[in-house]
Amino acid sequence: MDEAGATRAPASRAAEVPSTPATASPGRLVLRRFLRHRLAVASGGVLLALALACLAAPLVAWLLGQDVEAVDLFNRFAPASPSNPLGTDELGRDLLLRLLFGGQISLFVGLVGAVAAALIGTVIGVIAGYAGGRIDAFLMRLTDAVIALPLLPLLIILAALDFSKLGLPAGLMRSSYGSLYVILAIVALVGWTTVARLVRGATLSVRERDFVRAARALGAAPSRIIARHILPNVISPIIVATTLSVGNVILTESILSFLGLGIQPPLPSWGNMLTNAQELIWQAPALAIWPGLLIFVTVIAFNFLGDGLQDALDPRAGDP
Amino acid sequence: MIRYFAHRTAEAGLLLLVMSFVIYLLLGLMPGDPIDIMASGDPDITSADIARLKALYGLDRPITERYAHWLADAAGGDFGFSRLHSRPVLEVLAPRLWNTTVLMGLSFILALVIAIPLGVIAAVHPRTWVDYGINLFAFAGFSLPSFWLALLLILLFSVTLGWLPAGGVQSVGRDDFFDWALHLIMPVTALTLLTAGRIIRFTRSAMIEALRQDYVRTAEAKGLGPFGVVVGHALQNAMIPVVTILALDFGTLFSGALVIEQIFSYQGMGKLIYDSILGSDFNVALVGLLFATALTLASNLAADLIYGWLDPRISYG
Amino acid sequence: MRLGWATWFLVLVLAFTGVQPGAARAAAKEELVIGVSQFPTAFHPNLESHVTQGYVLAMTSRAFTGYDADWELVCMLCTELPTLENGKAVIEKLEDGTDGIALTYTIVEGATWGDGTPVTTEDVLFTDEVGKHPKSGVSNAELYRQILSIDVIDQKTFTLHIDRVSFEYNAINDFEILPAHIERPIFEEDPENYRHRTAYETDFTNPGLHFGPYKAVEVSSGAHIVLEPNETWWGKPPFFKRIVIKAIENTAALEANLLSGSIDMIAGEAGITLDQALAFEKRHGDQYQIVYKPGLIYEHLDLNLDNPILADKRVRKALIQGIDREAVSQQLFEGHQPVAHGNVHPLDWVYDKDVPKYSENLDAAAALLDAAGWTDMQGGVRHNEAGTPLALELMTTAGNRTRELVQQVLQSQWKRIGVDITIRNEPARVFFGETTAKRKFTGLAMFAWISSPENVPRSTLHSEEIPSAENGWAGQNYTGYRNPHMDQLLEDIERELDREKREQMWHELQTIYAEDLPAIPLYFRADAHIWPKWLKGVVPTGHLNSSANAVETWYAEDVPN
Repeated sequence: MDEAGATRAPASRAAEVPSTPATASPGRLVLRRFLRHRLAVASGGVLLALALACLAAPLVAWLLGQDVEAVDLFNRFAPASPSNPLGTDELGRDLLLRLLFGGQISLFVGLVGAVAAALIGTVIGVIAGYAGGRIDAFLMRLTDAVIALPLLPLLIILAALDFSKLGLPAGLMRSSYGSLYVILAIVALVGWTTVARLVRGATLSVRERDFVRAARALGAAPSRIIARHILPNVISPIIVATTLSVGNVILTESILSFLGLGIQPPLPSWGNMLTNAQELIWQAPALAIWPGLLIFVTVIAFNFLGDGLQDALDPRAGDP
Repeated sequence: MIRYFAHRTAEAGLLLLVMSFVIYLLLGLMPGDPIDIMASGDPDITSADIARLKALYGLDRPITERYAHWLADAAGGDFGFSRLHSRPVLEVLAPRLWNTTVLMGLSFILALVIAIPLGVIAAVHPRTWVDYGINLFAFAGFSLPSFWLALLLILLFSVTLGWLPAGGVQSVGRDDFFDWALHLIMPVTALTLLTAGRIIRFTRSAMIEALRQDYVRTAEAKGLGPFGVVVGHALQNAMIPVVTILALDFGTLFSGALVIEQIFSYQGMGKLIYDSILGSDFNVALVGLLFATALTLASNLAADLIYGWLDPRISYG
Repeated sequence: MRLGWATWFLVLVLAFTGVQPGAARAAAKEELVIGVSQFPTAFHPNLESHVTQGYVLAMTSRAFTGYDADWELVCMLCTELPTLENGKAVIEKLEDGTDGIALTYTIVEGATWGDGTPVTTEDVLFTDEVGKHPKSGVSNAELYRQILSIDVIDQKTFTLHIDRVSFEYNAINDFEILPAHIERPIFEEDPENYRHRTAYETDFTNPGLHFGPYKAVEVSSGAHIVLEPNETWWGKPPFFKRIVIKAIENTAALEANLLSGSIDMIAGEAGITLDQALAFEKRHGDQYQIVYKPGLIYEHLDLNLDNPILADKRVRKALIQGIDREAVSQQLFEGHQPVAHGNVHPLDWVYDKDVPKYSENLDAAAALLDAAGWTDMQGGVRHNEAGTPLALELMTTAGNRTRELVQQVLQSQWKRIGVDITIRNEPARVFFGETTAKRKFTGLAMFAWISSPENVPRSTLHSEEIPSAENGWAGQNYTGYRNPHMDQLLEDIERELDREKREQMWHELQTIYAEDLPAIPLYFRADAHIWPKWLKGVVPTGHLNSSANAVETWYAEDVPN
């Protein structure tokens, strides 16, 4: 990471002097900046707590003596009680456990989907922006094509394809988790375009700056220029886009659930729990409020977290 | 510049052609053709009926041949008939297109008008209560699923208060402006809220970035007032990433208004495309999707051109 | 903050629950706005048929014959059902030596198209001609294949010569008459494109297409249809001066529209789900009439009998005894959707009340599975000697909330007897267009058959009706069920004219069905009709001929506000 003087002293930058300031290690600097952002820290804490709680779901199940999939038709819409701290759902299953297991799925889909999409997008965006010319044109047309790709028919086709015929283990796709993998694949395959265009735009802009020109003129290898100059300069838009997209992916899953194409039961996700609750909002508002609240909190937290990370990672954030 | 534009337009046209084939192929690959669905719902349909109907609808021929046939017709301006609506495709599409354009256009403009000033204000006063407030508003804009927001709006304004119609484009038997506008309020509000959040966030972060750039500081040093600095220099620069997002959003909005359209029973393109895919209405789905594709390509092209205008450092070769 | 609003909305709405929405009504309403969950995309009655299309067409026209609300066959456009007893049905020898039948019908005297042209035998001949034409696009040509010829006796009377004799010989419910004076020129000009050019699609508000109590005056595609009384209607003049049929696809929005007063009623034929209606009744039951009509909608699990696990009858019997269908019916549907003990509805006259019934019996189920070799319990799942787990896939239409609920109940209950169920759902289009139709489900498939009274289940049970690539995937015997005895019985029932003998055969059929269990019966679905308090005279039917076939008897009562 470098400091604010980069553009003022391009030569020193390009001359490959160790860019680490002598006073503190970059990691500590980042941490210090991040800790200044109190909302981000709080959000990180909330997310950590949520993630831990969700991971502890089997433990909670054991403590409560409940099975998340065990249907009890004679105990539907039960009020809160010691054995069901948040009551039960429309099939008499423990709501708390469903929320925790649903959180595992939702957070997993959100994180893995967003990060996978961002990785693909960064690689494509940097290559396109840096290489320029025909490679850029080709990659950008590819991006345009993927953006324009009709998501819906793709989903319906994927929902119906027999993946075991494509060489994937039958057990994988035919398991309850099949719909989860399909959704992850779709999110990664169509979600990278935003980051790719963003990164390419920023790369284009950075590439033409004096210090990069100078570095090139001095014969620095492209990989080194990308790693040292381009990536640090595009990291903040990537982080913003990725954090936003974690929430987006969670929301996308809920919309897909709304259309009947999301995570399939009995696997709970916050999205499909919310969708299922819409018709029951009067009878059992808690069933809708809890997953809605968790989605809301998670999306907000990811955004504040991203905000804080942006400030912390951005070298010029030190002097606002 | 003009050469660049012509080049890009030609490219977009070619891409559109490729897309039409890809979409045709995808639709053709989808399991369950119209006749299969018809047959599964009617016990009296015999295999002879199935063969007869497939031949009649042209489904017995290979997909490439069907595509070639479609392309030849389409080149002559004949996009075929909608299977579900039994009407010529363009006749089915036209009113929906208008409805969607109105819904999208209004909410997009409204979102811009709300979001860009808010984003700028938040960026100019980072880490103040103003900033936090605007951020919260932005997050609220995209943190609840659209169907939820839409239902809550209906519950409040139609069911409880009885102020607004719960759905539709127009009341039965009325075609005056007032009635039409009344029906638009809720879908436009919902869509605006959903779009504005993203724009606020991106404007804000791009603006903070831009305000740190040296030339802004230089301008500041030269004695330009805060407003002049913000509007004259930083905003122009900040709009580069924002334009990218907007261009992307515009295309998604087109088919993405689906959920809002469905809940408000608003007869728009998103719902039409969705219904035609699920109902195996190839011709409508194809033309509708191509239209959405064309729109996305056009807005991307526009974004690239605006780039050049906003950032003189980018040159077009 | 959005959630702040959400909670606020909710609190606000909850606080207002006592408030009756909608405008005050001092006098009887002259307009009725009906909410449906699906818009009829096409209107031609013979090209394709949908539930809501049938609902609308029942108001603007009538089929020749149909079932009434008491599930009895009646004449709707004819004067009298031809029977062997009244001499209007005569069995005749065909050229190939088999028996055929000649049926004489007379069109109701006053039947007149909305433009003043009388409905005549000319229209009958034209409808038959369209039905027989290979390029017309008529989806279900079975009836027209059976009609060998038509003799015209006069303007109103004709005789159909049918190529077979079945017990329901005088039912021509699918014969929906077309106006020759409008459609013939269109058809003859270009039969191949008739399906696109028919006035039903290009000009549905043409009064010449309608002879029922109502005629369409406005169609807004995807949104609504407006109907007004048809002056040429011969029967009882309808009460409502205007009927609007509005399509709102999202069922939660449909309910909100009802509460906001923008629709007056929700049609049971295409409305909200039963559990949504039950929840609705708890809150608004005192403001609306809510009627649950048991229907001929048989919800069941088709078992793929080619799956070695399911080919074993003991496993099938264990499966049905491993679930508590009574609890599902009582707890999820409050008893409005009775447990099915076979494919025949208890209200159908051919129902055998002594049909073998299965109830939950976990011990018996376990014993059956043990006997079938599934003895080795590992991790809660039974395995056989070869180490194969007792694992099955349960599929249904994705997004159908009720089915998904039942599915999860079944999965959880089967777990108790060591059966491992994986749920895999697909969009309806794929599920019906591919998975069931081409027998691609490996285990169990949950869906429903909708039928009419005394409907012979030939297409679902006869071994010749198993879909395969060879027969172009025709037939609906998705389970792959083969039983020569059943085949014979199905053929015999169709030919048997004697009611009592037929009843015996029906009883036998139900016994075999319960013994062989090619499918696991779940329950019979019920339609939930929601009407305003002031609406009277609507009688739900519970089968394919909707309540709208008696729309002229609907009326509004004066309601003091």
